[in-house]
Amino acid sequence: MIKVENLSLHYGKQNILNHISFSVEKENIIGLLGPNGAGKSSIIRILAGLVYPDSGKLFIENKIQPDFTSLREQCGFLIDSPSFYPYLTAKQNLLLIKKINKSDSDLEKLLIKVGLTDVNKKKVKHFSTGMKQRLAIAQALLRNPEILILDEPFNGLDPNGFHDLINLLKELNKSGTTIIVSSHLLNELEQFANSFILIHKGNIALNISKEELLQSKKRVAFTFVEEITQKIIDYTQSKDGKIESNSQVIFQLYPYEIATVVNDLVKLKYTPVNVETLNILQEKYLEITV
Amino acid sequence: MLLINLGLYSDGEELFGFLLKSIEEYFYINGNLVNGYLIAYLALNTLWVHIPVLIIIVTAHIFSGEFEYGTIRLLLTQPIKRSHLLSSKIIAMIIFIICFMLIITFFALFPSMMLFGTGDVIVFIDGIQFIQEATFLKRYFFTILFAALSMIAFSSMTMYFALKFKNTLTAILISLGILIIFTLLQTFVFGIFSSWQPFLFTYHIAKWQLFYVNEIPVQTILNSVYFLLGMALFFISLSYVKFNKMNISE
Repeated sequence: MIKVENLSLHYGKQNILNHISFSVEKENIIGLLGPNGAGKSSIIRILAGLVYPDSGKLFIENKIQPDFTSLREQCGFLIDSPSFYPYLTAKQNLLLIKKINKSDSDLEKLLIKVGLTDVNKKKVKHFSTGMKQRLAIAQALLRNPEILILDEPFNGLDPNGFHDLINLLKELNKSGTTIIVSSHLLNELEQFANSFILIHKGNIALNISKEELLQSKKRVAFTFVEEITQKIIDYTQSKDGKIESNSQVIFQLYPYEIATVVNDLVKLKYTPVNVETLNILQEKYLEITV
Repeated sequence: MLLINLGLYSDGEELFGFLLKSIEEYFYINGNLVNGYLIAYLALNTLWVHIPVLIIIVTAHIFSGEFEYGTIRLLLTQPIKRSHLLSSKIIAMIIFIICFMLIITFFALFPSMMLFGTGDVIVFIDGIQFIQEATFLKRYFFTILFAALSMIAFSSMTMYFALKFKNTLTAILISLGILIIFTLLQTFVFGIFSSWQPFLFTYHIAKWQLFYVNEIPVQTILNSVYFLLGMALFFISLSYVKFNKMNISE
């Protein structure tokens, strides 16, 4: 659906994005992951037409676009730290955006959809961060966009708001909306995204689908109460594992192999007290953030 | 304006008596020189500082306010062209200036006409100028038109600074600084300084006074109109280039 090729950006002497390429398939939820300063927001801002890249091509349905502003026609955007006219109410702000878009959306329904009720007379300057975030989601949905691009949408949301948003995104995706979400919260993204792009220092460190992720090898760490003996060392080496400490061994295993290894360890009279698994995405993310 | 009118109505006789004393020594004046038209003319002196200051405060906010609130990101992620957004803001600025000038005209002209009546006007521009009552309103209308153009040219410069620095206060201070420096330079009318004058926009803004010369020097005024139009177009074009190429990264 969307293909981005050779995207690069620099501010002064600092390289923000280094010739990255990725594609987004229709009706997918793409998680754009990375620590703060990785370049996620810059990608979103380029897609939104707010920042002009040094180089890069955009293809929509395999057709090359003159620039990145073409995406605005079919996308709804939520840019990090959303801002609204503080002296207007939520509805007045939405009405302004509605007029710009010549949209026929029902604002009352939209406000209910994002959980912003009972704010009729309240001006935006009195809104909490979470409320502003909900309003920003409402404005992004105003045109019933084919593609929704959200930058750090979970910022400022309380646990209820967070779950409401995930449910809303899942619901929108079911009805055919393609979603790109950037976040530094890996666990949250893993709950609903079906494809992941891990950004690190302006490069793509990993680009993987949820299916691939589920089928790929995991780093499995077994911790024992007693110190490991030669039997365990031999077994670990036979499975290409690694002795991490005198009470922990680590294997790279496919998901279907984990139960077999646990059984083998139990047979060797070494029942692990803790089994910790990290998929390749979690492993890479830890690697670049620690 | 209303307060000035009321003040002049109650205690103005003494003030104008003092101001007109020197004329009365040389001329026999039949009737009252202090009338609504003279007061409306005197109100035009706000064109030097007061009106430009009020206008640039609003203009700077029209353009950089969006950056300060962060709402520029909200607007530019909608399917509208940057040039369309800037055009709508420029139109808003021009409408504001025209309305502002009309309000100033209304409050400068009508209350003073009602309180002091109308009549011929004597003003000092390159000597004493006698303006006939019948021609005053026409002259006043063209002054306001010319002043509106001056303010649009000056605001265009403020608009460019507002877009460049994305900060209302910076844009206001720079514009005010330029206004003050240019006004000062304009007062140096000797030696090489006099050759600078045609390049100072304040020199051209001041040409509104020529509408109160008996024989209006049309060509001189037209030259200033061309200069101010050129200045407005220059800064508007510069603003389009700046805004279209600008990265909204904050």
